[in-house]
Amino acid sequence: MTTADTREPLPGAGPAWPAERRAVTALRLPWLYLVSRRAPAALGLLAGLAVLLWSSLYWHWSISGGRPAQQFISLTIESAAAAVIAVTTYGPFGEPERSTGRWLPYLRLGAAAALTAIAYGALAAGATGGALPGGTGAMLRNLAGITGIGLLSAAAVGGAFGWTGPLAYLLVTEVALTGNPTTPWVWPARPPDDLGGALCAALLFAAGTAAIALFGARDSGRHSAPE
Amino acid sequence: MTAATEAPARPVRARASRLAPPLSFLRLLRIELRHNAMPWLLPLIAALFWFDSYRPSTGQASLYVLRTFWNMGQGHTIIDFGPWVAGVAAWMGSRDGRRRTADLVTGTARPRWTAQLATWAATAIWAVAAYLVFTGVMFAVYASQGVQGQPPWWWVAVGATAVAAFSAAGFAVGVFWPSRFAAPLAAFGGFLALIMSSQTGFHDSTGWALILPTNSNGNFQPDSGLLYPWLPDLPIARIMLLAGIAIAALGLLGLRARGDGPWLRWLAVAVTAAGVAAAGTAVGLATTARLSADGIVIPALHDAASDRPFSYTPVCDQAAGIPVCLSPYYGRWLPEVTAALGPVFSEMAGLPGAPVRATQVGTVYNSDDGGGQSMTIGGRPVVLSLSLGALALSDADGRATVDADGRATVLAEQLRLLAVHAFVGAGNDVGTSAQQAVQAALLQDAGVPLAAQPRLLTTSGLPSWAQAGNGPPGPATGPVYAEARRLAALPPAARHAWLAAHLTALRSGQLTLGLAATTANPAAKRAHR
Repeated sequence: MTTADTREPLPGAGPAWPAERRAVTALRLPWLYLVSRRAPAALGLLAGLAVLLWSSLYWHWSISGGRPAQQFISLTIESAAAAVIAVTTYGPFGEPERSTGRWLPYLRLGAAAALTAIAYGALAAGATGGALPGGTGAMLRNLAGITGIGLLSAAAVGGAFGWTGPLAYLLVTEVALTGNPTTPWVWPARPPDDLGGALCAALLFAAGTAAIALFGARDSGRHSAPE
Repeated sequence: MTAATEAPARPVRARASRLAPPLSFLRLLRIELRHNAMPWLLPLIAALFWFDSYRPSTGQASLYVLRTFWNMGQGHTIIDFGPWVAGVAAWMGSRDGRRRTADLVTGTARPRWTAQLATWAATAIWAVAAYLVFTGVMFAVYASQGVQGQPPWWWVAVGATAVAAFSAAGFAVGVFWPSRFAAPLAAFGGFLALIMSSQTGFHDSTGWALILPTNSNGNFQPDSGLLYPWLPDLPIARIMLLAGIAIAALGLLGLRARGDGPWLRWLAVAVTAAGVAAAGTAVGLATTARLSADGIVIPALHDAASDRPFSYTPVCDQAAGIPVCLSPYYGRWLPEVTAALGPVFSEMAGLPGAPVRATQVGTVYNSDDGGGQSMTIGGRPVVLSLSLGALALSDADGRATVDADGRATVLAEQLRLLAVHAFVGAGNDVGTSAQQAVQAALLQDAGVPLAAQPRLLTTSGLPSWAQAGNGPPGPATGPVYAEARRLAALPPAARHAWLAAHLTALRSGQLTLGLAATTANPAAKRAHR
């Protein structure tokens, strides 16, 4: 008997697995991947951020200043959601996972895209608490762009520190919003239907998801995170 | 068995045994300093510090109080450091939990709380040291640029304490929730708390809100460190609050530490209670704060010696023959001030109550009064008291403030407006219609066209009366400006004579708008009859 023979069902073997069992088996890998990335905890945090956004809009936690400054609380919450997504890219397995995980790029891409979509849905639900400055269109642009920055940060400095990119962008934007920025890279200061800002945000999101799908977070076995 | 083991064990000397715990803690601290994550983020924080704290301040006039209002008064140095420090401290605090080594290290000889304090101390030392270095470099750059006045050292101390408090709070988050999400939660939570603190500060100029670390209401007075010292009252209260938060957060760690003895837990309870008491006391002190001429005063913390203004030899020049004297710190604006006041003094010359001297006085920033301060004319001999601190001073490169219409004469026009406003007796109020009309006419003669006056009244740095009743800038129309046009159209000698005859009535508020018009214009007076 050779190993090739094992591909055929052995005489007396049981019937093939039912369809639902096969579906469960197919979902097992994504589920294990998501659990290893603490996606359930991330979903809880995203829900908490949505509640925070709802509260800020419902109870009018406004910021003094013009229109750009008034969206600052919602922008902070959107950045926090992007940071949570970026931190989920941190993987504990490193080299063994990368050397054996044929589906890893797809899992990374799928997880990042799905979490971004879920974050958008959750925050859009939170936006029903009141009038969101810029509307949900601007929120989608902000969330996607800052998530892209977070994913790029994770690819560059490690998933555990993926939150540094969104926080740095938020601080830069905080200063820029007090002035009169003209660059589309500070897209929160642009109108919701501004094409330049949307393109910049989309470009960063595409770059971030591509980098994280192809290379993964930096600390996934290639370089250990700081203590 | 070797000879070495046969030797009798040497008793540990009493002095060595006393020094052992501190030395072992220092060794642990040294290890933690070498393995801390904070240094990795310092280059990024340095870049943001330059972008957010230093760069925007360079557009201000070269006075410490103006340069540092953005980064110290509004707390941008804390915003640049605090969230990062909280995030990194949370990462360090969650280390044992994330790596599942908590049980392993609990069994070591060192109390768990002590080991955690060493980790926190290493993070805080890196963060506070970096804060002090970055701030010191910024002040050194200011000094090299010739920035005048006293640096706000008390506010540097507040910032350093805030950084320590953020590190302690973030560390506690990491210890209590050892997750990869602890760091972003602490960082963004800290950031949200800071911007909400700023927001509250924009609304609340009194009461407990003054304690908030980025509340800029009243903490910086326009002439602090220039004409009078920086008052330490509010900084001390804020340091108490922030230190109390840090101590309470560190005390909480001791309550949770497993394997430590009961006396350590009682110590942790006492430390936590002390921190809460310090923070509560600070909030209570802030509720007693009031705005004085030199800044925020908290009676329980106030030292009357801090109220003494600086003595200085003024720098003086002449404006239309009248001496104008300023603090040496404002010496570079003396030519602008004399050039601005010259035409006004020429108009006032010979009239009752005209000043014979102009002297600078300290400015009080009161957000409830629009942030600016009126000038006053009074005394014997009559002196014009100049308050310059809140006005639109030109920046370090001599660039004048430009208003929304593109006019670069804002400072001169503000000076003329405030001087004329004081001269017509309107006080700290918009004044009667007649006073407004005379003010507008005198301003027109002094070189501020009527058409530009509505915009001038909306410029930043003027008291709230400037905008009261004027609404948004628009055309110079209405009965006040109509009467001003009639007064301005009179020959100078006739207007001077009219002012000499009616100034007393004008200042007392007895002159009405119509009376001013008819009295000023003989033809209209006949028609009025």
